Amino acid sequence: MRAIIKDGIAIFKPQGFLDGNSSDYFISLNDIEATKKLDVSLILVSLEKVIFFNRNGLDTFIKMFYDVSLVNKATVGFCDCNDKKYDTIIKFYKNNLTFSLFNSLETASLFSSNYKDEGKTILLYSEDKSQRTAMAIELHDFGHNPIIAQSEKEFLEKKKKEQLYDVIIEKTFLSQVGEKVGTRVSGNAIIYTISSFLDSSLGTTFNLKYHNNSLNVGFRLFIFDAYKVSAMNIHALTFFAKLASASAEYNATICFVGLMFDKIPPKFKETLEDAGIMFYNDMDDILQNKKLLSELSKIDATSIKNKKSLNKKIITELPNFIDATVSTIEMMTNSKAIKESMNMNTLVIDEKEGKIASSIGFYGGIDGIVIFVFPQEIAKKACELLLGEETDDVYMILDTLAELVNIVAGKIKMLLTAHNININITLPRTYSNIDDLLDIVTNKKGVQVDLAFDNDKFLFFLTR
Amino acid sequence: MIEKNDIDLFIERIPPTPKVLIDTLRLLNDGELALAAVSAKSDLALHAYLKNLVNKPIYGLKNSVNNIPQIFGLLGLDATQQTIYNYMINLLSPKEWCFFKLDIYIFNNLQAELSANWKKILLFLKIKDKNIESAITLLPATIIVAEAIFKENLENINAIRTVQDIDLNTILKRLTGFDFFDVCEQIAIRWEMPYIIRDLIQSSSGIKPSKDKMINTLAKWMHLLLFYTLSKDIFIKAQLNDFISFEIDFVMDIFNDFSTIMEIE
Repeated sequence: MRAIIKDGIAIFKPQGFLDGNSSDYFISLNDIEATKKLDVSLILVSLEKVIFFNRNGLDTFIKMFYDVSLVNKATVGFCDCNDKKYDTIIKFYKNNLTFSLFNSLETASLFSSNYKDEGKTILLYSEDKSQRTAMAIELHDFGHNPIIAQSEKEFLEKKKKEQLYDVIIEKTFLSQVGEKVGTRVSGNAIIYTISSFLDSSLGTTFNLKYHNNSLNVGFRLFIFDAYKVSAMNIHALTFFAKLASASAEYNATICFVGLMFDKIPPKFKETLEDAGIMFYNDMDDILQNKKLLSELSKIDATSIKNKKSLNKKIITELPNFIDATVSTIEMMTNSKAIKESMNMNTLVIDEKEGKIASSIGFYGGIDGIVIFVFPQEIAKKACELLLGEETDDVYMILDTLAELVNIVAGKIKMLLTAHNININITLPRTYSNIDDLLDIVTNKKGVQVDLAFDNDKFLFFLTR
Repeated sequence: MIEKNDIDLFIERIPPTPKVLIDTLRLLNDGELALAAVSAKSDLALHAYLKNLVNKPIYGLKNSVNNIPQIFGLLGLDATQQTIYNYMINLLSPKEWCFFKLDIYIFNNLQAELSANWKKILLFLKIKDKNIESAITLLPATIIVAEAIFKENLENINAIRTVQDIDLNTILKRLTGFDFFDVCEQIAIRWEMPYIIRDLIQSSSGIKPSKDKMINTLAKWMHLLLFYTLSKDIFIKAQLNDFISFEIDFVMDIFNDFSTIMEIE
């Protein structure tokens, strides 16, 4: 069984009965190895559709948690534990809980560095005082407003006024939280979450290759969510200064949000400012200020430094890229694709009206960028399969488009792996305005394939 | 790309019930077990299937049983009808499985496990009705339908399922407006299975309740039995555990009784 990956959370969803005989087969050694390689901040096993489990059944997953967290540094645990399941697990493992327990996926996501919605007001209760405190600190650090009930009586009283809270957390146990630099996308900004004392270990926990490829794909705004940072040393300072000057070549902006300077020398701040890094007190100062957000994430065509051209190795694999794209979109939209033309040139989009686009980068055995230009109708059709409903909400369509592009990229990755070419993929960037897309590919040559899905014109562009 | 047309094509290709089986089923319906055995004898494939099935460990026979009258006598009237239906479903199964990691041996094991445990449930519920006993045979047909419809789209479906929590039944429904249980009902209609079987199979999806209260109760048992069976190592390995969604709330009220019958600790 492979995990479902969404918003930086990997989740396994076994169904039915978990016992010592069956659970070994839910997660194979290959699955564990694949999970170790995931770039996620939370790895969960949902018990929502498990009607029966015993200790032997859970042990396989706990072993997987242990193996994976050693490598991946993500937070691991079970979610969708109702009261009975929670109490049973606590009884099984008593004081030896090395994993977290969450009453729902929604609760778990509040503890994820990839959480992308606004902070929530949360009523919180645990019998264990240290758990109450630990959870409250974590929730606060992730931008939420936790309200702790100090006793069960107080909790039950407060719970009566449930309309005052966005989320109520009980029957939840928080084990050690992950140490990874979490990555999430909000609009067209990439947000990295950093915490505690920053030192030279940033060199290993921060994925520089991923960052560089995000620059190539067209991301220009990188925000370090630094609410949880206590201090930093000279090695971390050097790391950020170098990162900022490298990013400046792309005219990209790096911001810190929530960084407190109580324990950081004033000179450090000056050095970071000199390197072009900006500071904000609150995430909303950027994300809710649409004008500023648009300004900071704007692409300047003159800043495109990457002038690499397509090589023979990529061209050889072109049929795999096309096959993966066509078959996935055919499947998702239930329409038939017809290839209309193929050219090697700069990107040409005749009709920009009613189109949206997405770009996704890949790196490793080969590197480059794939760009997809969709009529809104195709994205809407894909929404119908993924969401089970029609929608005209542009943000929802863009979100779904990103998911669709992720699926295509996942399939490309799979096809290339079969040819012994291993690649990693970036997060997809979406564009509601086609001109923004054209800025990132100015003067870049690539292969353009024009396709028609029923009557909808679709464009595929592969470049470096 | 999956269209309603694929479903129509699948239904079109369902072979009509062979004459031998029509005769055998008619005789069973008339209570003529011995004559039914004589009729069934002329179908060598059926003979081989029955021999293989009843000698599986789940049937708990001490000695191997080989000839058809013996097998029919051992199974009795109701279970014989059930077994004939199992055989008919078996005729639909592909020679080579692509989407699921199955083979004929594992598929027959699934049929045998479902049938034997369904019998225990009906005994517990004190229900003696040969059509209800036979209804369980249609459940594995959902797997055959899933294999037939999705085998050409294996990679795409797997790619979708790595980013979205969505089962094959929901994907099919959203793409074509039909689900596996609808297709199974069409199989039942083509093979002139009684209405109660069709109603029960639809209701056992856990998402389409029947108007009949008793059918709904039986459907809960069938749904839970399916997931109890699909949680066994051999079927998890075959990737059958999550091809349709387990509706846990639908079966919660019968779980304790189910645990007792299946001796789950």
